This record gives sequence, C-alpha cells and structure tokens, in this order.
Amino acid sequence: MATTTATVSISSGDLNPGSSLSINASSQLMKTGLTTGLELMEMGNHSIATSTEFNLSSALGEVNGAHYVYICNTTTNDEYYIEWGLHDTMIGNLNSGQWMFIPWNNAVATDSEIELEAKNGTCTFEYAIFKSAWTLPTAAA
Amino acid sequence: MATINASISLSSDIMSYPISINKSMSMKKLASCHGLDETTGLRTKKFGTVTTAAVIVEHDELTDDKAHMVYIRNTTSSKAGYFYVAYNSGAAAATTTEVIGKLYGGDWMLFPYNGNTNITVASDGAAEQTLEYMVFADGIVTAAG
Repeated sequence: MATTTATVSISSGDLNPGSSLSINASSQLMKTGLTTGLELMEMGNHSIATSTEFNLSSALGEVNGAHYVYICNTTTNDEYYIEWGLHDTMIGNLNSGQWMFIPWNNAVATDSEIELEAKNGTCTFEYAIFKSAWTLPTAAA
Repeated sequence: MATINASISLSSDIMSYPISINKSMSMKKLASCHGLDETTGLRTKKFGTVTTAAVIVEHDELTDDKAHMVYIRNTTSSKAGYFYVAYNSGAAAATTTEVIGKLYGGDWMLFPYNGNTNITVASDGAAEQTLEYMVFADGIVTAAG
C-alpha cells in the first residue's frame, strides 16, 4: 500500500497582536472511504499564456471519489496570477509564488474539470494530482 | 502589513521513486507584493449526525474578486466520515455546483478564494465530526451600522 502524506504549517507573528498564530496539520491520504492508500498520481509543469484557459484534469475517473490536487504558481512576477475554478466557475486567485492543496471529488465526470487561467501575463505552474482510482482511456480500435 | 507564512510537504511512495514536494509561501494581496493582514479568525464547529448544509464562509463579509485564502480541516480522527465542501451559496452535496471535494477525517485544504460566493459544507451525517477553519482575508467588508 502506498503511503501519501500531506502536511501543512501556517504561522504568523503579527496577524493577531499579542498572540502568534501556529497551525500544523498532517494527514495520510486514503482511497475513497477506505484505509488503503491512493494508487495513482501525475505531476508536471506547464505554462499558460495570458487570458488563456488550461484544463488541468481530464473527465475520466472515479466520480465523487477521493482525489487530491496540489498546484503552485511558480511565476515570479508579483502582478501575474492564476485564476482557478471548476468547470466554468472561477473560485479563487492564486498569486505568484503561492500554492494550494484541495480534495477533489470529480463530482460530475464531464463538468468537474479543474480550470486555470493566467492573468496579467504568462504564468508557469507545477502540479500534482493524487488519485483514488482512475479509468485510463480505452485504446482506439 | 502582516506576514503570514504557509508551507506544505507532500511525500509519497506511490511511484517507484520517492515523491517529496516541499514549498513555502507568504500570503499576499491580489497581484501585489504586500501581505494579507486581516482574518475572520480561527473557528471550530461540531456537526452532529445531520447532513444539512451550513455556510462556513459568508462571501458578503469579504471583498469580492480578491485573493483570500481559506484553510479548512476535518479534525475527526476516523477516515470513514467526510464533509462535502462547495463553492455555493447554500448547498453542498455530491453533485452540487460547484462542489470542490470531500474532506475526510484528518484531511485539510488550503486554497485561494475570490470572495464572490459562500463556502458551504455538509457532513455525511454518519457520526459527529468537527471542522476548524480560517479565512486569511484580502479585504473584509465593514459591517453596516
């Protein structure tokens, strides 16, 4: 069984005056509703031209499952950012140098793609997707 | 301006060679070098054995179209239970538009959020579960008097 672990630390000494913030959490990522480890992953780097949409995930795979997505905007220009969303709904703005980590359930196979769009300039990003189970494309006849 | 740092460590032996991703960041305002300096505070909420959806982040408390960051953790120890987490005004279920994912016991998430729609959660209802969550805000709307 594969062991995949995700750990986060968030800290600030001056967000709350008089008390420092320190959040630490770690989780072993498992298959959907089970105690066995994830079995598939993909990772890579891409760049997106300004105002261009990029579809990070395919529609294939276990619907409503336990998948996990890491994305980091590796762009160094502070003014460039990546808008991210699901299907056609944009959810947030990932600044340069920032990362995000979410569970992704692939709710509806054809409508749950993770979409990224570069703003203000060409953005580069790295990503990793950990999958509970996945259907590979059938070979063309 | 406050300084809020966050780091992630992902490790896995899912491939034939070890995967190790380590990244740190400073949370910043949209398209800016200036750090986030507001928060709605760290909150903890217990959910009983009901599946009714609940809004944990009200978008009208935050400035629209910004670079807020949302941290959510299911502090329950059992991996059997989960919350649906959705970018939706008041619903979170398997096929809700737009459900982001299922946050199982012990799992956490940290993601950028534009503040345009609520963040809503719904427990699977099988057992009592607890969420902790916090918004690092790129602008909080002043409450009307």
